[in-house]
Order: sequence, then structure tokens, then C-alpha cells
Amino acid sequence: MSLFLQLLFTGFGIGAIYAMVSLGFVLLIRAANVVNFAQGEFSMLGAYAMLILFAGLGVPYLLAFVLSVAVMAVFGMVFAGVAYWPLRHRGQLPVIISTIGASILLANAVLAAYGPSPQTLPGMFDNPGFEVGEVFMDSQYLLILAVAALLVLLQYLVFEKTMLGKKLQATSQDKEMASLLGIPVAVMVLITFAYSAAIGGIAGVLVAPILFVSTGLGSLISLKAFAANIIGGFGSIPGAILGGLALGIAETLGAAYISVPYKDAFGFAMLLIFLLLRPQGLFGERIAEKA
Amino acid sequence: MVTLSRRATLLGAGAGLALRTTGARAEDTLKIGVVSPLTGPAAESGQFKQNGMQLALDAVNAAGGVLGKKLELVVEDDQTTNPGAVLAFSRLAGRDDIVAFIGPVRSTQVNSMAPDVLKAGKVMMIGGTDPSLTHLGNPWLFRCRPNDTYSAQVIAQFGVKELNKRKWAVVFSTDTFGSNGNKALTAALEKEGIQPVLAQGYTNQQADFTPVVLAVRQSGADILSSYFTYENDLGVFARQVRQLGVRIPWVGSPSIANTTSLNLAGPALYGTYGVSDFSADASPAAKAYAEKYQAAYKSMPDIQSSWAFDAVNILAMAINAAKSTDPQAMRKAVIAIKGYGGAEGEYNFDENGDGLHGYNIVRNDNGKIVFDRHIELTA
Amino acid sequence: MTRAATASPPQSNWRRGVPGALLALVAVLAFAAVAPAEGYYLNILMQASTYAIAVAGLVVVLGYCGQISLTQAGFLGLGAYCVALGTVDWGLPFFVALPLGMIVTGVFGLVLGLASLRLGGHYLAMVTISFQQILTLVLTNWISLTHGPDGISGIRRPVLPGLDLTGGRAYLGLCLAALVGATFFTWRLKGSRLGRAMQGVRDNEIAASTCGVDIFRIKVVAFGISAALGALGGGLFAGAFAYISPDQFAFNESVVLLTMALLGGVQSPFGALLGTCFLVMLPEWLRFLRQAYLAVYGAAVILIMVFLPDGVWGLIARRFGGRGRAQTAGAAGELPLLDRRAQPSEEIALKVAGLSKHFGGLKALDGVDLAVRRGTVHALIGPNGSGKTTFLNVCSGLYRPTAGSIALAGTDVTGMGAHQRTQRGLARTFQNIRVFRGMTVLENVMIGAERPGNDVWRNPSGVVSRAVGALQFVGLEDAAHLPVGALSYGHQRYVEIARALAGSPDVLLLDEPAAGLNLTEKRALGELLSRLKGHGLTILIIDHDVKLVQQVADHITVLNFGKRIADGAPGAVLSHPDVVAAYLGEPHLHEVA
Repeated sequence: MSLFLQLLFTGFGIGAIYAMVSLGFVLLIRAANVVNFAQGEFSMLGAYAMLILFAGLGVPYLLAFVLSVAVMAVFGMVFAGVAYWPLRHRGQLPVIISTIGASILLANAVLAAYGPSPQTLPGMFDNPGFEVGEVFMDSQYLLILAVAALLVLLQYLVFEKTMLGKKLQATSQDKEMASLLGIPVAVMVLITFAYSAAIGGIAGVLVAPILFVSTGLGSLISLKAFAANIIGGFGSIPGAILGGLALGIAETLGAAYISVPYKDAFGFAMLLIFLLLRPQGLFGERIAEKA
Repeated sequence: MVTLSRRATLLGAGAGLALRTTGARAEDTLKIGVVSPLTGPAAESGQFKQNGMQLALDAVNAAGGVLGKKLELVVEDDQTTNPGAVLAFSRLAGRDDIVAFIGPVRSTQVNSMAPDVLKAGKVMMIGGTDPSLTHLGNPWLFRCRPNDTYSAQVIAQFGVKELNKRKWAVVFSTDTFGSNGNKALTAALEKEGIQPVLAQGYTNQQADFTPVVLAVRQSGADILSSYFTYENDLGVFARQVRQLGVRIPWVGSPSIANTTSLNLAGPALYGTYGVSDFSADASPAAKAYAEKYQAAYKSMPDIQSSWAFDAVNILAMAINAAKSTDPQAMRKAVIAIKGYGGAEGEYNFDENGDGLHGYNIVRNDNGKIVFDRHIELTA
Repeated sequence: MTRAATASPPQSNWRRGVPGALLALVAVLAFAAVAPAEGYYLNILMQASTYAIAVAGLVVVLGYCGQISLTQAGFLGLGAYCVALGTVDWGLPFFVALPLGMIVTGVFGLVLGLASLRLGGHYLAMVTISFQQILTLVLTNWISLTHGPDGISGIRRPVLPGLDLTGGRAYLGLCLAALVGATFFTWRLKGSRLGRAMQGVRDNEIAASTCGVDIFRIKVVAFGISAALGALGGGLFAGAFAYISPDQFAFNESVVLLTMALLGGVQSPFGALLGTCFLVMLPEWLRFLRQAYLAVYGAAVILIMVFLPDGVWGLIARRFGGRGRAQTAGAAGELPLLDRRAQPSEEIALKVAGLSKHFGGLKALDGVDLAVRRGTVHALIGPNGSGKTTFLNVCSGLYRPTAGSIALAGTDVTGMGAHQRTQRGLARTFQNIRVFRGMTVLENVMIGAERPGNDVWRNPSGVVSRAVGALQFVGLEDAAHLPVGALSYGHQRYVEIARALAGSPDVLLLDEPAAGLNLTEKRALGELLSRLKGHGLTILIIDHDVKLVQQVADHITVLNFGKRIADGAPGAVLSHPDVVAAYLGEPHLHEVA
């Protein structure tokens, strides 16, 4: 039993990581209708920004954290201007390819600048975790779960309760109509990218103490986060969280009870099953086109 | 690093025509073609390798070079992929002015270019430790590291004879390196009449190892052995081993004692043992090398650098001994090398092309790697 | 569409492009004979040519059919493993293992295509990524079959009696010849019936299905072809390098292959070829950048997407294109449906009984009965939101009815898909125009003429002349070779009508044909409808424009709030008090059955 509980906790922790990165995806899908394959690289860059500020320049932890996130927000806008804006009228596919290109560019630019050595970044707490019964709880996982919950709440409030959120949604659904209504579409898109990159940055800083800071950090989690997103329901905020947690738990239990080498396959198999049987995900958009 | 102007030469040389016309410049040096991972997942080891080669190169050239000429490295990136390795090698193989090669440290890439090496018919020093590489009937591959059958035998001998443990758990990457390591270790343990209680493979680049660690804990093993390819995987695993309360002795493959692992895993690796082809305290030659490396690069040398250091030195010795760059003569000269004390250990090349036949056992003593003992095997 | 269509491009025959292909074949073989027999350049050439074959597969599935696939490296790998295992482990000759690999991989492609049934866009992207990832894991971990991560070495090249293809030059010749073949096949496919159907699916799935195209089958076939081409490239790749391992066919390689296709121009196999050569060479040219070159590669991908939307080939085709297409004069064929001269009869061509369609609680249609007699123009009118377009969508098979039945010439078609109804003689146009934007006017209409069941549908030259005839009828034959997007809104509507007419339908459904037209265009449309009526075509038209309806209709049915409120001859219906009330927006006082 304690074995199962331990696996469950770990699954939750890993799931929370997927969920965090997945949140960034959701934002861009909801507000800009962009599937961003460079989302993982936002996390990677956030972790490097933290590394430079905290470990390199000796900025206090929390201040360095805030600064890193701010840097990422600015970076998100630059990213939007380069990889998205020129392609915004050309459908989804060119944007997907462009973000794939951006992901290659970012990972390798960092590799060229900072070298290939993975680095360590300390977590927020000195205490690595504690034992509840026979289950070890990693404090960083707990922190990630808490921050993920907080971000969900924040996103929910922003999207559902504020004028800004409504404008963002209107922009996503119909850019022309939004601009007719006097919504500054370009500003909305910039805000979305900034927010999404900032969330990616937060995820990076929080995940780095567990997975280390390396140029491969982004690719390690972004595909899974994307899968989590679809399992949860494309573009759904609670779906991103539940999809992430479900994926993390399924992988961990699958690895423990079925096969370790095929661990990555469980998540993707689960995704395929979901896509074929319930394509709208746990909470999701309806896929239908009107004649 | 190769400059732009040399790049132009390289292109011309690649065309196979310009060689004779590049004239004096090309005649000035003896060139060694190097296939290295400069990009991709193993890019880090590529940097260590570069450091090691450069150190040896500077020393050889400072001492007057080889056959009166200076040695020069021509490096091509294999992108840590097999097609990349094949292309990088074929780019080098097209050049008549390259006298020998230094290959990648990853076995799968050596494997992918092996047919082309055979065609090229020149000596290649390699770092890949897959035992089969020197048993493929390819006479041109020479290994500057002890192969995995030796590491496995040394791990088994140390664990069974010195630590008196008989219930083994083996954790290995399912890539070429890890699965062959597992195979060799299982074979070595079988000789002692031992069947591992757990042999657990995992796929590279994992975010979490809890299921693996719990499997080790549940198996009732009294000793853990591991073959990890990437240090970040090892780092995650090591931390979880400690967190989940696995306290049995742990003897790992060489990556457990390398610089990056020590940085990443920190205290989680304290008290572990590793086999290491390079250990600064294993021999005077190793000690001298370590001091030189530290002076040049301000960091501890790594096993990814020591074999490359030796590779350059051995090629220089072989050319000097053969008094020519004729491939056959060089090949004989390499095989003739016996009792040479390199950074990695004492080289006694056999007919297969294996230079080293033993391993050091090192211990992680609160973050410092200390030499424990050397175990030499008679093949 | 059982067999892959052969040539049916505009004004052409089976020989189209054959001389060019033969010339190319001779050229590549001559080139192979003098190419370097070993070494770096040979390897580059073999890598580029084998990859280019796989990229041609992407042109089919992505360029023609519009389905994103991020698993082309997986297909490449399956083909490569079949050849490797076949020649090394199972002792098969190379030329047995290679087609075997294409078949096995093709089947995988078909299965993956099944996933496209309900999914498109990013979902399909994720399905293909998942397949790719799982395949890599299986290749790595199913050691007893695949040799695991060690890979397979010693892959043999083919030896035929009297022809040894193991040498570098001979094998390069084989690869290049296969490339010429694959490129030719892909190029010809574009102008074939199957290829046009794919492009129809890409441009507008709904319109394609109402042209009789079985969307699902076309997608599955596109995936199958793409997979088989991937496997052909992969099998040749395995022989070229004699050693393969799972990491050569991982997700990253799929991204590279996709980038090659997009860079060159995914609409044309020549673009794919160009893109492949460029991207195989680009990292090589950028090697001087050392550690930064992959970063530059990534930047290049973005720049290409931004500045070369149609790829390099698109740029070239625009610059040097405008290749003077031959005139179509004289090719026009008669429209047989116009010869029927049928008189209005009592025979029921389309019978709808008790038709209901509910969207949640909303009853868009509520027990509607309607019968269209052969040779008449039947109008369905009603205020906005009365359920007219829903009625047409249910009739043409785009929506499933909640209750009721639809019969076409006595056959019950209620359970059939849109394409099956079209195959039985139903055709329609759309209120918000649905033309195939990536194609020319003529190609749009050809898809209509290729309606399965149409008399000329398997006859390439018949299809062209039928399409030209239909264009002539609507007065657009001069615009035949213009991209359809270049026409005015009104003319695009005519293209839709011509597309429907070219299929010689028994019943034509016109969905608000006058919507969005100006006065002059409306008048012209009225004349066109009168001409159609004069030829005795059976038409069900829905429109707001009472004047237009009065001008052409023999019979009128009126809907309001999803119910039929009047039905009968035009004069009587239009003066019916409920109809007047409905049109004037007053609450109607009487319930009419």
C-alpha cells in the first residue's frame, strides 16, 4: 500500500510539472489560437534566467524569481513579434512549423552560449521533503502543486471575470470581429504571449531543482505537456491540470506495474485512446464544423 | 576550433582535387581527423574530449612534433546522431592528407561508421566501450578505454569478492551502452554463480525514477549496480534513491564518478563506488595528467578527456615508431605498444585492438573521488 | 475510386510528362555513372535522394490532402527495418524485402489514416507524434525482433542476375531512379482524379463530400501512399548506409522531413526535392558555425516560413511560371443532363417525410414533409431562422436527422453519408460559397464531373470536356485556368453551379444562390435558372428573394420555426395569410399542418 501511495504522490508531482507547462499552452490556444511547440523552451529559458540571476549574480532568491519571470514576459512579446505575428493570417500549420523552428533555435542558441553542462539550481526550500507514514513527499513537488493551483485560479479569474479576459477570448474567437469591436488585437496578442512565456518561466524555475538546468529541459516536458493538454481537452484550463495529473499518474503507475522502458509509451497510448474515443478530452471544445 | 579560412581548404579537399594544389600549407602538418559530438545530447562530452586532445597535441607539438612535423586536428561534428557521424566521417575520409582518426565516445556512433572506417583503411582510436566494436573483424579500430566486459567483470569481482554481496540489482539504460553493460555484468555474475534479483532497464531522459527505485527497494537486493548514459538521469535517480530510503552499497559504471554527475547529484552520491578508467591517484602518469589538465582548464579532468589525451599520444608514438604514416605500418606500431603508461592506465594493445584490460575502483568520499584500488584482468 | 487514378489532367493523356521523366531518368543514371564511387559526396547524395522520396510522401498527405503528419521518419524507419531485418535476419533478397516494407508500412499508414476520421489539425499532429514516439520505443525495446538500440549492421544491397547493384555508383543510380519514379508518380497524382479529390478534401471537406468524394477514404489512402513512399525511401536508405538504429528515425527526424517539405514547397514534388537537397546541405554548409549551426538552422526555418510561404519552389514557379497553359477552346462537351428535355412529371424525384432535426432543445426542423417532382423547380422559402438551410444540410447528408426519412428517386438515403447521396444523383451549392480555393476554376468543376456514377467519371478527357461544357453553360469558360479565388463572389457562385451541373445530377439543391449578389448579378442568375428550368432539370431552391422564386418556381413550400406552414402552387402559397404574416413578421394566427 505504501508503495502505491508513494507512486501516486510521485505521479501527482510529475503530473503537476506537465500541468504547469500545459497551462502556458492553453493560454496561447485560447487567446491566440496558436499551438506553440516552443513552450518547453520558455521554461528552459526561465530556468537559465534564474540560474544567471541567482547563482551567477547573487540576486536574492525571490527577487531573482520575479526578475526571471519579468524577463520571460518581455521575451514572450519578442517571440510573438518574430515567430507568430508575420504568420497570423496564414492558418495554423505555418505557425506550428515556425514555433518548431523557434524551439530548435532557442535550445541551440543557449547551448552555444552556455555550453552543454547541466547545472543545478536550488529549490525554494532547504528541506528536501518529509515523510508522511512511509511516503516521502518532495517539497518541490508540493510547491509545484500549490503554484499550479494558484495559477489556475488566477487564469480562471482573468478569463472569466475580467474585461481583459473577455477581450482576450474575443480576440481568439474572431480577430476581425474583435477589432471591429474596438479591441486592440495586437496588444491582446502581445499580452497573451507575455503571460504565456511568464508562466513557462515560472514552470522552468520550479522544475529546474528537480530536472536540472539544461538545454534539453524544454523538450523533456513539452511534448508530454502538450499531450496532457489534449487529454484534458484542448484549450481548457481545468482540463490542462487534470490532463497533466492523469498523465503523470498513468505514466508512473504504468512504469511501476507494467514496464519501465515503455514508460513514455503509456502517456502516448493514453492520448491515442482519448483521441479516438473521446476527442474532446475530459473538458473540451466540441469538434464540429458547420455547413 | 577551425577557422573560416581553413574551412575553405576543407571544402576544396573534400572535392578530392585540390589536395595537390593546396601546397606547402598542407604539407606542414600531419592531420588527425576527429569525429566528435559538438552538438546534441553528448555535446558536453565533446567539449571534455576536445580539452584532452588539445592538451596532448600541445605537448607533442612543443616537443618537436612527429616525424619533424606538427600534428593538427581536423574536427567534424557528429551531432550525436548516427547519420551525423557517418557524414562527418565520410567528410574526413575523403581527405588524403589525414593520417589517422579519433572516433566518438559513443558506441552506437562508432558502430554506424565502422563499415566506412574499414573502407578508409586507416587507424581510428575510439572511446566507445561496447565490447563488440573490437570484435567485428575490423582491424582499424583501436580502443583507448577498457571495454565493458572488463568494467562488468571488475564490478562483479569487487562486489562479490570485496564487499561479499550476492543479491544484485542492476539498473541500466536501454540504449546500446546500457543494455550491453547489463549483458556483460549478468555474464560476469553468472561466472560467480549469481543471478541478479533485479535487472531493470529504463529509457534515456526521464523526469522521474520512482518506479525504478521502488523496484530496487522491493527486490531485496543487497547491492546496486548501474549503467547510466546521461548524467541528468543519474542525478535524478541518485536523489530518489536516497529519498526513498535505499541504503545498499552502489557500484556504478564510469559516469557515476564524472565531474558533471558530482555537480548534479551532490550528496546523493556520497559513499558510492564507481569503476573508472581514469583516476588521478591510480598512477604517476594519471597524476601528472590531472595536474596538467587542472592547470590548463581550471577544472578536474574527466574520463571523457583522458582517453582522448591518450589517443593523441598513442597516435604520435605509433607514427614515430613506424617512421611513416603508412596505415599498415601504423597499425602494427599501435599493436606493438606494450606497457605504455597513459592517463587511463597501462596500455597493452592486443590483436583485437583493445589497449586497456583493467579498471580502477573509485569511491565518492563526500564529493571527492578517491582512488580505491586497481583491478587488472587477464583476458 | 478503387484503383489509384491514372492520368486525368487537363488536356492530356497517359503520356503526359513521360518524356520528361525518361529524360530525367537517363540524366540521373548518367550522373550516377560519373558520381564519386565512395566517400562523403556519395553519402550526401544517397541521403538526399532517399530522404527526398520520403518527403514526396509528405507532399501527398500534407500538400495534396492537407493532413499534417509528424511521423514520416517513423515510416522511413519501418521501411528501413523491413529491408534490414529482411536481408540480414530472414535471408530475403533486397527486392523482396523492399516492397514488403512498403506494404507493411503502407498498412500502418492506412491504420493511422483511420485516426483522421474525426480528427484534424493539432489533434492529428498529436496522433502522429504519439505513433512516432511509440514506434521509437518499440524499435529500441523489442530487442528480440529489432536488435534493440544496437541497430542492425551488414544490411545488404541488391544483386540481380547480371546486374550487381552493390557498388556505390550502381546503388546511387538505383536510389536516383527510384527518386525520379517517386517524383513522377507524385507529380502525376496531383493531376489525377484521386489527386484532385485529395486537394478537394484539403480545401473544403464539406464541399468535397457533396461532390461525391469519400473524405475519409481519401484521407486514409493519402496516409497509405505517404507511408509507402516513406518506406521506399527508408528501404533504400538502409541499403545505402548498411547500418541503421532506432535513433535515426526519431521524432526530430520527422520534424526535419516536414521542414524539408515546407521549405521546398509542399504543393509540388519538385519543391519537396528542392527542400530536401537544401536541408541536407544546409547543416553541411553551416558547419563552419560549429556549435551555433543548429541555432541558425532553427532561425532559417522561421525565416522561410515568414518570407517564403509557398516554399522555394513556389517562389521559382511564380518568378518563371505563368507557363502558358493551352487554350481549352474546342474541348467543350455537351452536358447530357441538358438533353433530357424532360417535361414536368408526377414522378417524385426527392421525397422527404416527417423530417426533424433538433439541436439540443432547439427544434430547427419539426416534422417537415416535402416532395419534389421530376422536372420541376421547387422552392423552399421562409424567414431567417425558419430552418431552410438546416433542411438542405439534412437532405444533402451533412447533418443526421433526428427523425424522418429522405428518399431519392424511391431509394431511402436517410442513413447514407453526403458522398453516397451525391453518388446517387444529388448535387448542391452553398449559401456561403464553398469552392476549392487552392485550385483553378476548371479543376473545381472537374471534381464535380468526377462524381462517382457520372457517365464520364472514369474517362479523363471526358471529364475535361464535361467540365468545360459546364463552364460554358454558366459563361465562365474563359476563366477556366484562373485560380478560383481570383473570381468575383458572383462568379464563384457560378463555379459552384457549374461544379454541380458537371456531375449530371438528378436533383440539384441550390442554397440561397442569390445571397450576396448585386442587382445585375441577380438578374443574370435569374436568367441562368430559367435556362436550367427550360432544360427540365429538377431543382430544389431555397431563397429569401420572393421575386426570384416567383420567376422560376413551379411549386413552393414555406417553412417557419421549423414547421411547414404552406405548400402548393406559387400564386396560392404567396397569398396565404400565414405566409404573409410570417414574412411581415407578425405572429401567425393559424396553425397549419
